[in-house]
Amino acid sequence: MKQLVVLFLAVSIISTTLEAQFKAPALDKSPMDMSYFPANFPILKIQNKATEPLMCRVCYSRPQKNGRNVFGDLIEYGKVWRLGANEATEIELYKDVKINNDRLKKGRYTMYAIPFQDKWTLIFNKETDIWGAFQYDEKKDVLRTDVKLEKQTDPIEAFTLVFDKTDAGANMIMAWDDVKATLPITFIK
Amino acid sequence: MYQTRNLIKLCCLLLITAFAVGCDGPTTSGNNSVTINPNAPVNQPTEKDLQPGLDKSPMDMSYYPVDYSKLKMTGSITEPPVARVIYSRPQKNNRTIFGDLIKYGQVWRLGANEATEIEFFRDVDITGKKVAKGRYVIYCIPQENKWTLILNTDLYTWGLKIDSTKDVYKFSIPVSKTRFPYELFTMEFEKANKGMQLDMEWDSVKASLPITW
Repeated sequence: MKQLVVLFLAVSIISTTLEAQFKAPALDKSPMDMSYFPANFPILKIQNKATEPLMCRVCYSRPQKNGRNVFGDLIEYGKVWRLGANEATEIELYKDVKINNDRLKKGRYTMYAIPFQDKWTLIFNKETDIWGAFQYDEKKDVLRTDVKLEKQTDPIEAFTLVFDKTDAGANMIMAWDDVKATLPITFIK
Repeated sequence: MYQTRNLIKLCCLLLITAFAVGCDGPTTSGNNSVTINPNAPVNQPTEKDLQPGLDKSPMDMSYYPVDYSKLKMTGSITEPPVARVIYSRPQKNNRTIFGDLIKYGQVWRLGANEATEIEFFRDVDITGKKVAKGRYVIYCIPQENKWTLILNTDLYTWGLKIDSTKDVYKFSIPVSKTRFPYELFTMEFEKANKGMQLDMEWDSVKASLPITW
């Protein structure tokens, strides 16, 4: 009898614990993050240090290297990559921009990349609010551009996408493992 | 043999109980570790500084319909989403959250880091008030028995400084107790009998904002 009571208690505690865990979604393995141009815009804003309006922001997820060789291995060359993890990476432009002489209207886009050994093809696509690159539809592309790569001496653990100010506008810097890609963006005033 | 089994069961039970008690256990009223000093200098990221760590309170996103982006990927949905919330997920870390870490009657950013953002892709109706489609900051003033939720138009800001002159809608909703403490602050949409609700849970408190259209 005692055994039964103990077993019953154990089972009920385990099952209710499981229930509670099931209801609370865990932290993502590749957490979401946001990058702005001007960089750190929300913090600058509350410090009254923002000298220009928000030009763009990217919402992306940050997979980690975890000892793996990323480019050419985990991410195959020549195939569309979602430039992050989980939900497709989203860029929102608050101004029209110029990228390699192509004009892109302000708005919300999904970004993808096709990595090669010596360059990445970056893609802006108008199918938003979608998961990953599994249903990537080339017909919905609005802009494609190639960017050059640089080698990083210190491998970068978590995929990182940040903006850096330039004379003409901003560089979108994307870095992971030993690869760094830079996309120059000009904002049309 | 039977005694050994009994002993194992008893040990399991003790471990489980200890774990369960531990989650509820002694709390420290430490500072909110996700707080930043709004007056601290901000450095522009340089090319040398490409290793920003992962956030302590990572960002997350929820859609309605639930799992919208996955439904869209599988082709099982074609109409636009109704709503999306982007928020950051602080952790309980053995602290008592409501009435202690988060003071009753004071503005709480409903998350961490950036102000929490909610976007309605169509006009909706929230607790009987018409809310125009668009993007808002959503924040909270928690009380012991109710939360006041506020939609504000001062977008793209850090959650510690809310400009209340830009408040546009206020809703008052009751709170309930959860059966178990939520370690992570959670915001998720859920289908309701009529429309949907935005469920918010942290520690032992749950609040739901009913949304129809």
